[in-house]
Amino acid sequence: MSTVSSTRNAAVIGHGHDLGKPVGLGLVLIAMMPLVIMPLASVFIFGLKEGPIHFWEVLSAPEALFSIKLSLITSSAATVCNVIFGLLAAYVLSKYDFAGNSALMIVISLPTAIPTAVAGFALLLLWGKHGLIGYYLERYTDFEVMFTTAAIILANIFVTFPLAFGVIKPALDNFDRSYEDAAETMGASRWQTFIYVVLPSLRGALVTGALLTFARSVGEFGSTIMVSGNLAMKTQTAPLYIFTKFNEGDVEAANAIAVVLAVISFAVFSLIIFTRNRLER
Amino acid sequence: MAREVMVTLFPETQAFAERRPEARAALSVSHLTKRFGPEPILNDVSFSVEEGESLVLLGPSGSGKSTTLRLIAGLENPDAGQIMIRGKRVDEIRARDRNVGVIFQHYALFPQMTVAENIGFGLKIRKVRARDREPVINRLLELIGLADQRDKYPSQISGGQAQRVAIARALAYEPDVLLFDESFSALDPQTRVPLRREIRTLLRKLRIPALFITHDQEEAMELGDHIAILNRGRIEQIGSPSDVYNDPQTEFVATFLGAANVMRGTWRDGLIHLDSDRYLAPVTGVPPLADGERVKVIFRPEDVSLGSATGLIETPYHLGRGEITDVSFTGATENLTVRLLTYSQSGNLVLPRGDSGRSSFSSFNNGSNSDFIIKAVRTKWDARRLRLRTGDRVTVGLKSYKALGSE
Repeated sequence: MSTVSSTRNAAVIGHGHDLGKPVGLGLVLIAMMPLVIMPLASVFIFGLKEGPIHFWEVLSAPEALFSIKLSLITSSAATVCNVIFGLLAAYVLSKYDFAGNSALMIVISLPTAIPTAVAGFALLLLWGKHGLIGYYLERYTDFEVMFTTAAIILANIFVTFPLAFGVIKPALDNFDRSYEDAAETMGASRWQTFIYVVLPSLRGALVTGALLTFARSVGEFGSTIMVSGNLAMKTQTAPLYIFTKFNEGDVEAANAIAVVLAVISFAVFSLIIFTRNRLER
Repeated sequence: MAREVMVTLFPETQAFAERRPEARAALSVSHLTKRFGPEPILNDVSFSVEEGESLVLLGPSGSGKSTTLRLIAGLENPDAGQIMIRGKRVDEIRARDRNVGVIFQHYALFPQMTVAENIGFGLKIRKVRARDREPVINRLLELIGLADQRDKYPSQISGGQAQRVAIARALAYEPDVLLFDESFSALDPQTRVPLRREIRTLLRKLRIPALFITHDQEEAMELGDHIAILNRGRIEQIGSPSDVYNDPQTEFVATFLGAANVMRGTWRDGLIHLDSDRYLAPVTGVPPLADGERVKVIFRPEDVSLGSATGLIETPYHLGRGEITDVSFTGATENLTVRLLTYSQSGNLVLPRGDSGRSSFSSFNNGSNSDFIIKAVRTKWDARRLRLRTGDRVTVGLKSYKALGSE
């Protein structure tokens, strides 16, 4: 990758004065200003305008801290589930040919296209008191899923379902089968081949997929508000906290959390870039 | 047909074929058949490799040679036939239990492992502890001369080094047989040739039986104690490199392994009457054919001898007069294209009609299938004795030829 871009740069320099770079970059930045950069900046400016001490006070309110903690926990759980699932699905879909291969691909990718509120509603229909699973679950185990942490995790899993898969699948498709053949002739079982040969080649895709899933989960709002009940100190995630505080007119509290979420996603995407450069040899 | 004639004709080959699949064989394959779809890609293939010996499977792409390797390695399952490795039948056991070493075309070194880790992988899988693997890895690194590269990743070493690592990786767990899948084709010639010699020496030293798959005849000649020539899923001939080159038993073998001229004719009255209105006296090894049966006459460019148009020729067989249509000098040898002349109705010698040089543009190595166009090679000494240029008329003779019953 780096060789490609460096040769391209060399060609540009060779031509002397190519205006493509400064003009193109300028256009991108100008477009991004009102669309992305300024809104983001205003979050930071408003969040921090009363000074760091005030910022910290707002942030350290128990409800605020709880919401961040809950968001991190539920997002991590959803990430673990979806990476494992994405790996399995990608392996099966790229290794085996079967009828309905494409249909399965489409179904896996569907959650990205469904409005998150609808996703939440759909989960309510299934897991709620009168839903197909929820009814029997409550009847036989006395366990209620809706309006608990489990419900938030379910919503996160649904919404971010295809993200890890979407990153791992192409990596596996590009994986040279002769590595597996080589491992097999050397005496490795299918499982050993997977652990020692396939998995290490996918570590870049796995980490990227996980970070994408996590970043998307942390910010999830629409489905969460449908299934969580938005109970402070119980099922209120960070985005729900922001929404609630904003409705109550407490813009400062909302903003403080927004700053934290922005920092988290900044960190996550920095890690993604770093991972791409380091792990994908 | 042609094949059956061949088998009875060359008893030494049959004896050879019978001797090979005996108990001493390190690897033997019998009646191997594999289909992908209705057409068999491999059709009743049998051969064996003895202890310490190397066999080259030589054939064009699509001849089934890679399939043969994959069947032996266990990466595909045969539709019929048997595979034995060191007396044990393996065609029904899994690839990982066969204990073969495969050197893949692009080596398939694991990219996330260092050179040393790659070499140690087979031992790790066999539950050999790290501290016991270390001396083996070191010995192999020493053997392939890459001790200083042990901690590099495959992406950081050259193609030739990668191939050596692939061999070391396969040797580490002491396989019963080594299989090389077009392992030299990805290397440039400057690396390929010396590496080939190195590997031949190494195999001789270690006495490990090896099977090479290649489409490169030069490679086959150099690496194989024996060569099996595969064409459209069947073995056409097995023999030592000099056997298959000097005594080809099919037209395919003759033309695939080096350059060859092929002329067609009919057997009549104890002579071969060529379609180009010439006749040749029989040589040894001519099949006992009925009068009127079709015959193929095969001879190599170096078997052609050229004399001046007026002079007599000393070779045993006379082909008549010809005209030089092309001369090229390669350094050690001179390559010539000769067009045989024919008699016109008025009795004059003329260039034949209706055969307008259909092979004169083909490359020299392809030989010629025309009944009138002949490829010839002369040493620089012969070239110096009788200088020839395009347009010169010559007398054409043959030092030897091979006649095959044709279908």
